[in-house]
Amino acid sequence: MDDWKSSPLIKPFGARKKRSWYLTWKYKLTNQRALRRFCQTGAVLFLLVTVIVNIKLILDTRRAISEANEDPEPEQDYDDALGRLEPPRRRGSSPQRVLDVEVYSSRSKVYVAVDGTTVLEDEAREQGRGIHVIVLNQATGHVMAKRVFDTYSPHEDEAMVLFLNMVAPGRVLICTVKDEGSFHLKDTAKALLRSLGSQAGPALGWRDTWAFVGRKGGPVLGEKHSKSPALSSWGDPVLLKTDIPLSSAEEAECHWADTELNRRRRRFCSKVEGYGSVCSCKDPTPIEFSPDPLPDNKVLNVPVAVIAGNRPNYLYRMLRSLLSAQGVSPQMITVFIDGYYEEPMDVVALFGLRGIQHTPISIKNARVSQHYKASLTATFNLFPEAKFAVVLEEDLDIAVDFFSFLSQSIHLLEEDDSLYCISAWNDQGYEHTAEDPALLYRVETMPGLGWVLRKSLYKEELEPKWPTPEKLWDWDMWMRMPEQRRGRECIIPDVSRSYHFGIVGLNMNGYFHEAYFKKHKFNTVPGVQLKNVDSLKKEAYEVEILRLLSEAEILDHSKNPCEDSFLPDTEGHTYVAFIQMEKDDDFTTWTQLAKCLHIWDLDVRGNHRGLWRLFRKKNHFLVVGVPASPYSVKKPPSLTPIFLEPPPKEEGAPGAAEQT
Amino acid sequence: MSRINKNVILALLTLTSSAFLLFQLYYYKYYLSAKNGAGLSKSKGSRIGFDSTQWHAVKKFIMLTSSQNVPVFLVDPLILEMINKNFEQNKNTSYGTVSDCKFFCVPRDFTAFALQNHLWKNEEGWFQIAEDMGFQCLKIQSKDPRLDGIDSLSGTEIPLHYICKLATHAIHLVVFHERSGNYLWHGHLRLKGHIDRKFVPFRKLQFGRYPGAFDRPDLQHITIDGLEVQIPKDPVHFLEEIPHSRFIECRYKEARAFFQQYLDDNTVEAMVFRKSAKELLQLAAKTLKKLGVRFWLSSGTCLGWYRQCNIIPYSKDVDLGIFIQDYKSDIITAFQDAGLPLKHKFGKVEDSLELSFQGKDDVKLDIFFFYEETDHMWNGGTQAKTGKKFKYLFPKFTLCWTEFVDMKVHVPCETIDYIEANYGKTWKIPVKTWDWKHSPPNVQPNGIWPISEWDEVIQLY
Repeated sequence: MDDWKSSPLIKPFGARKKRSWYLTWKYKLTNQRALRRFCQTGAVLFLLVTVIVNIKLILDTRRAISEANEDPEPEQDYDDALGRLEPPRRRGSSPQRVLDVEVYSSRSKVYVAVDGTTVLEDEAREQGRGIHVIVLNQATGHVMAKRVFDTYSPHEDEAMVLFLNMVAPGRVLICTVKDEGSFHLKDTAKALLRSLGSQAGPALGWRDTWAFVGRKGGPVLGEKHSKSPALSSWGDPVLLKTDIPLSSAEEAECHWADTELNRRRRRFCSKVEGYGSVCSCKDPTPIEFSPDPLPDNKVLNVPVAVIAGNRPNYLYRMLRSLLSAQGVSPQMITVFIDGYYEEPMDVVALFGLRGIQHTPISIKNARVSQHYKASLTATFNLFPEAKFAVVLEEDLDIAVDFFSFLSQSIHLLEEDDSLYCISAWNDQGYEHTAEDPALLYRVETMPGLGWVLRKSLYKEELEPKWPTPEKLWDWDMWMRMPEQRRGRECIIPDVSRSYHFGIVGLNMNGYFHEAYFKKHKFNTVPGVQLKNVDSLKKEAYEVEILRLLSEAEILDHSKNPCEDSFLPDTEGHTYVAFIQMEKDDDFTTWTQLAKCLHIWDLDVRGNHRGLWRLFRKKNHFLVVGVPASPYSVKKPPSLTPIFLEPPPKEEGAPGAAEQT
Repeated sequence: MSRINKNVILALLTLTSSAFLLFQLYYYKYYLSAKNGAGLSKSKGSRIGFDSTQWHAVKKFIMLTSSQNVPVFLVDPLILEMINKNFEQNKNTSYGTVSDCKFFCVPRDFTAFALQNHLWKNEEGWFQIAEDMGFQCLKIQSKDPRLDGIDSLSGTEIPLHYICKLATHAIHLVVFHERSGNYLWHGHLRLKGHIDRKFVPFRKLQFGRYPGAFDRPDLQHITIDGLEVQIPKDPVHFLEEIPHSRFIECRYKEARAFFQQYLDDNTVEAMVFRKSAKELLQLAAKTLKKLGVRFWLSSGTCLGWYRQCNIIPYSKDVDLGIFIQDYKSDIITAFQDAGLPLKHKFGKVEDSLELSFQGKDDVKLDIFFFYEETDHMWNGGTQAKTGKKFKYLFPKFTLCWTEFVDMKVHVPCETIDYIEANYGKTWKIPVKTWDWKHSPPNVQPNGIWPISEWDEVIQLY
């Protein structure tokens, strides 16, 4: 090593010196044989060492390479396995591949079989009337959507038009009629069927049978139709057998940029249909919303439980509005699906949220109630540090300031023991009875429909005595019972922060929804600053009510309260009316008044110590039940409270329907 | 002339070969250090070993996690220990001043980091970026144990462990999940069928052999070996927890089967008892934790946990076990200060000690002290009227964490042996009349206290 180092040192000495050095060296060497021999062996040894080191290096490098290769090897195996699987699939997607389908339509039974597999079979009595629609993936033949539109009933054809319009072009559509599908099949729907190439669909008559297979925007692949001979009888059963040529996978998929979001979108769109522009190739609607964050968000770390069943389209709409609300934190959201349904889970996965499925136990209302319990328990297990949970349902629209509303009011739940919940829904907040998005109320009824539950309330009181499956109780009715509520109240906004759009639920029918939910007011203004939130605490609120009553103008009690002129045509005034209410549970006059005000009258909602607050013609309108309400003290002694007669018994109100 | 030529050739050969050798040595050293870290690099230089694979892997990993906002912290027992020692040695100097690579350059297969899952916002993108950076990553996930206690829920799987390999060094990222009872839980690293068992030497991992439970650590930022990392604020406490962190889950499935057979008692009295028993247990746990005394669920409370994952409503008391070597003289006063007056005290520290405290609503807290023999453990019992002594024998056991009524508590790991010793093979069948002197199969008469000692060993309040 030394000689290597010395050479640069030597250089500056010049050639002469170098030469003399060489000569001396040579001289010495020739003169000392032994030394020369020694040098020679040294050189040989040196060479040997070099060779050995070389060999070692080669061996080592080899080992390292083989080690580095060890990991990819199984991957190669896996690839091989995939490769082996590939050929049949490739064959599957080749253009020659066809599916044979059978479609059956009759009075009492419909079925659809694809390649020998039954994908739809309905022969239940009194069920499944109308047009059944199935959407198949044109490349794989997988069922992407299955719907039935009871076009015997009104408005169902509109839903069908909406659905068919959302199906992507190229998909295979299969339609078949069970029982009757024409009575409310209006022109728009018929025109759409015509545009699909159907001959018989647009001419579908009373109790006809009809089976149809076609590509959306493409050729008709088969159609059969049988006319009903008379009003009282049905068309003959028809069985349509046809082949569907499958197209290639590339044709069936869109070419979105390869991002994480689009991977989710692709997975979703290749599986299900009927979600419209989310699967549009050209201009897909976003699935990430990033709404503005809320400054000082007090509910950022509050878990959100979305309670869902098998209504994936509702869930889709609901999650869109939820994820668009300001201050939402997606990782706090959990969707609890009642049952092993795939499609709701697909919707959850599309938005990248956490989904949990619940094996159904028990039946009907009790099933919903058990699902609620499991979901709430799971929520507090998953977020053990949370003091509250937001509970939502799949058929709600969420207001843009939902979290802002909660962020401004949630401290009340911590500070005021007399509170049961905070709810985003005002039972009496209709278009014509709600006005002020900044105003909050205290009410004795629990509205649900988007509400905040305190963990201590759930863990210490509700969970241990939650109704068991055999009780068949509604969870919300149970929660409203005095044993549970124990005189506590809920905070609600005047203008609801949620909107109940559900129609096809357990406790709902179309008429009911139209009458009681459609005209509900829903806040669309972002960032509303709530007024005097701290005056919602028990004592402060009661003082506030007394103040309001003191300055309220007393209405003319000789007028009929059902007349529009009962309230003067002013704006911004506060009015009060006193109605008869003998005991705490005497709601005879109130129910009649609610009826003629066109607000919720099926049971009593929105009361606070015998007092109701709402808006009429932009005036704040208070109703006090005398003498049961402690606020009766504000009634002038001379005034006789209004009494309204209940209608004669046989008419009655529609059964004991209630809100979910 | 020929001789000179020979010499010249030899000299030239020597020169070239030595040059060659030097080049090889240089290359070899570089190669080795890239492979085995500090192995050869100790020889020279002021920034020793900063080119080691470990250090590179850790550096890259920290770059990755900080750019992706993954809130990781270092839990590697070896490194934490070194940090701790180093910290004790020079309390006043900061970590950054040392120019040697001390911590991340010791040749090892793994460096262990941890992550609190609930603080992690964007899980999705992380994996891809790690792989783009050259890491080979393995993700181990499983179903969520927090849903196990609830009837028939099945959710998306949760991540339990990530192992990311860069060259020959792997980063083991343990994912901690929050559980009810204010503690963190990590899962068992179970290799499923398709996982390559040779991906890393899994046996050498420090976490994941069993599920584990830890107190939620406060974190601090430090800079070691030029890298900024987070570590537990109290590394000593964390290090002490590691060997005793094994966690066992309650047998929820069996508990459900039990309730299907025997139905749960949902009467108001049962609910009231469960509530006060839970509060008493929480108070006892808090008091003992403050004293630093280990305890476990014993007798009926342990049976309730094992059989039905809940408090047995007709058991009327809460039973705890404590090793006699953990006994502290101020236990009694501590409980009294917590509002639990002493009800009776039997035996003495040397023999058959048993304490009983009066909780609210007539619920009693029994504390049995366990004595260790060469092949078994035992605790004592005393009959107040007669002064008779009893001995309850148990096979030897160790302690594991579990979750019970929203708390992290100890139970014997070998629970089934413990329960069968105490209640026999028929422990699955509920028995409402239980005579502690005769019913347990592990009870033995143990003589009688001499009357002279009665005042000391039988104290009733």
